[in-house]
Amino acid sequence: MPATDPARPSPRQRRAAFSCFLHRWGPAGIGLAAGAAVLGPALGPGYVLRYDMVFVPNAPLSPAALGWGDGFPRAVPSDAVAALLGMVLPGDVVQTLLLLTVFVLGAAGAARLVPGPGLAARSAAALAYVWNPFLAERLLLGQWALLLGYAGLPWVVAAAARYRGPRDLPRVGAALVPAAIGGFSSAVLSALVALPIALLRPWRRAIAASAAVLGCLAVAALPWLVPALASAATTDPAAVDVFAVRADTPLGTVASLLSLGGIWNARAVPPGFAEPVGAVGRLVLSLVALTGWGWLLRRGPQPGFQAGLTAAAAAGLLVALAGTVEAGRGVLRALIDLWPGFGPLRDGHLYLAPLALLQAVGLAGAVQWWGQSGGRGTARGSRAATRLLAGCALLAPVVLLPGLAWGAWGTLRPVDYPHEWVTVQRLVNEDPHEGALLSLPWSAYRGFPTGKDAATVVLDPAIKMVDRPVVWNDALRVRDGEQLRVVAGEDPRAQRIAPLMGDDGLPRDTPDLAQRLAAEGVRYVLVDRTNVPEGSSLGFAHTGFTAVHDGPLLLLLKVTD
Amino acid sequence: MVRILVACAVGAALAVVATLTVTTVATTSATSVEPVNETLYNYGDR
Repeated sequence: MPATDPARPSPRQRRAAFSCFLHRWGPAGIGLAAGAAVLGPALGPGYVLRYDMVFVPNAPLSPAALGWGDGFPRAVPSDAVAALLGMVLPGDVVQTLLLLTVFVLGAAGAARLVPGPGLAARSAAALAYVWNPFLAERLLLGQWALLLGYAGLPWVVAAAARYRGPRDLPRVGAALVPAAIGGFSSAVLSALVALPIALLRPWRRAIAASAAVLGCLAVAALPWLVPALASAATTDPAAVDVFAVRADTPLGTVASLLSLGGIWNARAVPPGFAEPVGAVGRLVLSLVALTGWGWLLRRGPQPGFQAGLTAAAAAGLLVALAGTVEAGRGVLRALIDLWPGFGPLRDGHLYLAPLALLQAVGLAGAVQWWGQSGGRGTARGSRAATRLLAGCALLAPVVLLPGLAWGAWGTLRPVDYPHEWVTVQRLVNEDPHEGALLSLPWSAYRGFPTGKDAATVVLDPAIKMVDRPVVWNDALRVRDGEQLRVVAGEDPRAQRIAPLMGDDGLPRDTPDLAQRLAAEGVRYVLVDRTNVPEGSSLGFAHTGFTAVHDGPLLLLLKVTD
Repeated sequence: MVRILVACAVGAALAVVATLTVTTVATTSATSVEPVNETLYNYGDR
């Protein structure tokens, strides 16, 4: 009989070690797998361009990225972080890593919030948090910086709930790092969940915890808060009507919101999203998750953040619902009119993030409930039924939202910037003289070619490419049925230049155009020829402009007057 | 026994929904197109 080696682990010890490994790293692995499945083709070389998601090669650490541009610092400090990472890695690799981080961080964080043991329940929470309509719609709107804050939300919840004294401050600060990078909207979301959790405890501890959380939030917000307070940017109250939530399924607005959908942009929903079967399935899944949350609160293992997260989710849902009735929209408009700082309230769908987290943990609660309600029995059939249902809960988010897979069925796909873009970028950035770049056509969004007769709509890449102020039309145009609604821009210089532009987004051919642009501090004019409307003529016939680059895609002019 | 029946029913329903939704997504994604060559591009459509 061979002697046993005391240093060698027994099969039982190995199984225990493997189980421990799975509990620790399984949710992050699920997040990574979900990220790979969602991004799919987007993981390949090239840049994924989609609405607000613009990564560029050789992104400069421009004044705008640091918060010292003319408009509201919405992309601060996310653009600066992307630019810093871009100094050591290619821009497309930076984009891929940041997007994958959203999935890994979010899944691991959501799983950590599940009270009690159980890999199945933790896995269900992990997957539900990174595969749901909220994430899908925000990703298709290109709001990667917001999603970074969304991914950090569970960590903020955990840190706020565990706060007992100043020694816990580093944990709160670390949890707020994703929100700090994400910027403005991410910080608002983090405040929405962290403050109720800090407040809803005995009053002495509530004051201390709230002060600590507020202090950390203020520090995390400094990069954008200081420039925001210093800027003259305003918010158009009309944005409330344009960005109000809407029904994106046949089940109506309330059902859409409960299912974590309802984004204002009909082009930011995954393929097949409005199909009744899937919509009903997602609503049922949300109701199961809410039931599971209720069970966790009343009978299950008590999470320490229950009241705070419930309050945050309810408040968020209320803000989103406010946009669905005229009275609610009136209140929101009045608040924004009163103080532009209420501007974030215009995008109601944003505030569903706490509900997404609550539902993810609630789904885990439902799995635990089902397991405990029959788990004491030893019948093999009962155990198999428990496992089958746990498997269903685990896979349901994916099965009910297949349109998110593989880059939302090919919607997210990488493209390369034509070389002309890099040439123009180099020419502008090598010029030591000060002066802004005017980007034309006079429209915030571009159709960027992704292949033959195919384009993706994306924010003008020139804004991120050059190391000098860029004057662009930051007014937002949204089609609402037959009507074209316009949300006024926030940049005062752009508002002064706007009257020089015609309906086709190009300057009217006036003799003193160069002088007037020079008076506004414009040194360069960049025209994206691929976005110039057919039949339009470039209004630079008069003197005062010198062509620096004249290619088939881009025209770069220097204002010489 | 009830637990087994419930689990089987949920599993079967999910399988049916999966088949339907994947088929629908495959069909709709082939027909839906992004806007190309617009006069000026919008932020989106409500």
